[in-house]
Amino acid sequence: MRKNQLESRQRFDLRMLFFYAVTPLLLGGLLLNLLQLQWSQHEKLALQADENRLNIIPVLPVRGEIVDANGNGLAVNKIAYRVLLIPERVANLDETLVQLSEALAWSPAKQVHIRKRIASARPDRPVLLDDKLQWQQVSPIASRLHRLSGVDVEAGSYRHYPYSELTAHLIGYLSLARQSDLDEGFLPTEFIGRTGAEKSFESLLHGTPGSQQEEVDALGRRIAVIKRTPSIMGKQLKLALDIDVQRAASEALGDRTGAVIVLDVESGAVISMLSQPGYDTNRFITGLESEQWQQWLNNPDKPLLNRATQAAYPPASTFKVVTGLAGLAEKASLARGDAFCPGYLELADRNLRCWKREGHGNVNMHSSLVHSCDVYFYKLADQIGMAAISDSAQQWGLGEKTGIDLSPESRGIIPAHRPNMMAEMTSQSNRRKRWFRGETMITAIGQGQLTTTPLQIARLAAAIANGGKILKPQLLADQEAELLHQAEVDPKHLEQVRKAMRDVVASPGGTAYWPLRSTPWPVAGKTGTAQVVKMAQDDEKSGKLSKQEILKRHRDHAWFMGYAPYDKPKVAFAVFVEHGGHGGSDAAPVADAIIRVLAAKEEARDEGQQL
Amino acid sequence: MIFRALRSVDWILLASVASLITVGLITLYAAIHQGDALLWKKQLIFLSVGFSVFLLLCFIPLRFLGLASWPFYIVALILLALVPLVGDVQMGARRWLDLGVINLQPSELMKWALMFVLAHWFASREADSMANLAIALMLAVAPAALIVIQPDLGTTLVLLFAASAMLIASGLPWRWFGIAVVLALASLPVLWNFIMHDYQKRRVLTLLDPQSDPLGAGYHVIQSTIAIGSGGLFGKGYMQGTQASLHFLPEQHTDFIFAVLAEEGGFVAATILLVLYTILITRILMISYRAHSRFGSLVCIGVASVFLLYISVNIGMVSGLLPVVGLPLPFISYGGSALVTMLAALGLVMRVAIESKDRIPWQRPGSPLL
Repeated sequence: MRKNQLESRQRFDLRMLFFYAVTPLLLGGLLLNLLQLQWSQHEKLALQADENRLNIIPVLPVRGEIVDANGNGLAVNKIAYRVLLIPERVANLDETLVQLSEALAWSPAKQVHIRKRIASARPDRPVLLDDKLQWQQVSPIASRLHRLSGVDVEAGSYRHYPYSELTAHLIGYLSLARQSDLDEGFLPTEFIGRTGAEKSFESLLHGTPGSQQEEVDALGRRIAVIKRTPSIMGKQLKLALDIDVQRAASEALGDRTGAVIVLDVESGAVISMLSQPGYDTNRFITGLESEQWQQWLNNPDKPLLNRATQAAYPPASTFKVVTGLAGLAEKASLARGDAFCPGYLELADRNLRCWKREGHGNVNMHSSLVHSCDVYFYKLADQIGMAAISDSAQQWGLGEKTGIDLSPESRGIIPAHRPNMMAEMTSQSNRRKRWFRGETMITAIGQGQLTTTPLQIARLAAAIANGGKILKPQLLADQEAELLHQAEVDPKHLEQVRKAMRDVVASPGGTAYWPLRSTPWPVAGKTGTAQVVKMAQDDEKSGKLSKQEILKRHRDHAWFMGYAPYDKPKVAFAVFVEHGGHGGSDAAPVADAIIRVLAAKEEARDEGQQL
Repeated sequence: MIFRALRSVDWILLASVASLITVGLITLYAAIHQGDALLWKKQLIFLSVGFSVFLLLCFIPLRFLGLASWPFYIVALILLALVPLVGDVQMGARRWLDLGVINLQPSELMKWALMFVLAHWFASREADSMANLAIALMLAVAPAALIVIQPDLGTTLVLLFAASAMLIASGLPWRWFGIAVVLALASLPVLWNFIMHDYQKRRVLTLLDPQSDPLGAGYHVIQSTIAIGSGGLFGKGYMQGTQASLHFLPEQHTDFIFAVLAEEGGFVAATILLVLYTILITRILMISYRAHSRFGSLVCIGVASVFLLYISVNIGMVSGLLPVVGLPLPFISYGGSALVTMLAALGLVMRVAIESKDRIPWQRPGSPLL
């Protein structure tokens, strides 16, 4: 027993050594693991801890506003208030809701809806109760916020277009960032300009987002703001546009489809640019219903199309100015001589008609422009040939983009123009391989394959007024004129054409005499009436349009371009009325309305200076 | 008698426990400083209760404990058997008995009952005979089986670990121990397929790859390793732990409190804590070595092994080495029952120390075992 005891004691002592050793070994192993975490992996884990607690919240920049030349807002930010509520911070929900519904005049149905929303929301996250409120509505709440725990009134802004339809194509609209924008680094909550100036000047208007570093807890509740980088507001843009002129143009155009452009003759500033029909750009901000979008897309009147820059039409007789200048430049005998107009011109295979069936009788360059005689220009074109005509068209800035800050822009077509000749020749509608004499003649009077945008025609009018300077149309106010190129033209020739254009308006036989006889400024211009019967027949075959539509679509396009005042040109303009009928009677009155407004404004300014 | 007891108090044991409690209170304050001041007060109350029990046990002769060990064990076993029949389910496990006055966790009682009964059994026996061993194994396996089905993996581990430690101390041949370990490993597949609950399996799987379930079972471990690692060598400063103060850490005042300490105090604080634990356990082992009775000695071994297991499992779990097993960190975690039982256990150790002072050591030939 004793021996046993001794043995057992010895054994116990040995075993105790094992226990003494185990403890530091185990705990040392734990320490080694901790060292691994706290030393080797420290940086990685410290970063993770920061990512855990730091939330970087973007602070969206305020978009720059767009105003017209007189400071009228065209694209503005409207402050709107929203009321939010964080359920878990509300002391007495029922009482709070009663107070809010009284202040905000919620209908019983809305109250039920809001209660449902609160019931289904996470208690620690803000619930949006009411949106797009004006200050008058939220001010009673805002003044009582300290007593309404858990309620918050937040101010935000949304884009508003006071003249939505009137400026739809020029200003454009915004929509929320898409995937392609996100790839460029925009945030999903940002609005991006999609068309018009909103798109073209996106980088100026947008501003720079800021950020707010917030410390959040595990529930995502904000504990503190650690760092704030304020956002930088976008620049305010002042356009050269005068909304009063735009409105006058729109009223004169009425419900007709068309485009009106008014340019400053010297600077190329766009004083007015209207395309009708317009569309309500405010619809995009609140999220456009796809039905509405489809309706706009499929509407035969194409409201989304900017007719001033994106659509090209036959310029009709307004082009005779270009043909005439080409004739003068080529020193064609006819340019200084006379011709006889019987109302038609016989060609080998067909007769080309003058718009005046009974004929103009004896005509020359001047009277042909004033009375818009087609036969004279057929003959002139035959003398100088297609190349001279297309060269001249190019000289005067047709067939090329004007460079205005609106995209996309149509170039229009100068048929058989040498560099593009083959391309145009093989284009869809032109399968013929040879250029006929007749086509040259048709082109000379602005028909046939030739198409131009209304903006190109307005710029042509400005160039005639300013001595051949082809300018970039400037959307922004107070810009230096940007000369794209100078038309090579003899000033004497130009003067000849100008006189003729003046007589279009001033002489009783002129095609625009009647509508512009009492315009406050002396106007020089040229009318145009483009035949569209052929187009209408195509439409009829396709069966897309009603009879009545077809009748309307049989009507010719009406043009009127010009500048004023004749003696000291300030503005140039182009009026285009789709299926408008006749340039003199249908398009010219629009110009009269525009110039009346401009003249009245000038008078008011002068009086103001005298006072 | 009191003076005599005072004279023979083991000051090192007392000092190490006092330091640990101090560290615990400081850490706990940081872990709950944004939350519940009530918890803090409650912990102080638990502490005073625990200290009273500690003092009380300092004066109870070990003999009585030895005598009471069998009845204690049987009562605990009966209560444990009642649990599956009439127990309360809390947090998905049936562990509690509602006795009207208190909610009792019989498995907690069993831990100590088994320790005493084994100490008593081997006080006069060696663990090198099959007969002696068989009884001891039955004593240990019966409650372990009852506890593992509750399920309570943590307590089962503690039970088996403490039992193994006492068997080793009682002279279990190493070969047999080796065989037992091999058998245990061989039974793991059985355990996995038939005994373990899905959530326990998930914990083990999560341990192998916490990122597989970052918001579920893996969340705790991911957040605690982030807390520990981001503390670095010197910590973020007292009460400056972002993981803790922003509530990313789950259970940060109970099972995961070590992460708070390691985040705010860094590797330095963790080292200090582990050194304190090492001192405490080593001291208990020294008391065991010097004990004048084999019973006392074995009780000390049991207590030391329980502490060692608690510490290792808790820190191992929080630092991502072990699956999530709900064991508190001794003297640091918030919680009344754990604090009181641990202080009670130390009271026993202290009693062993007091009884062995100025006494003839029990290895002397002819000295009584009890």
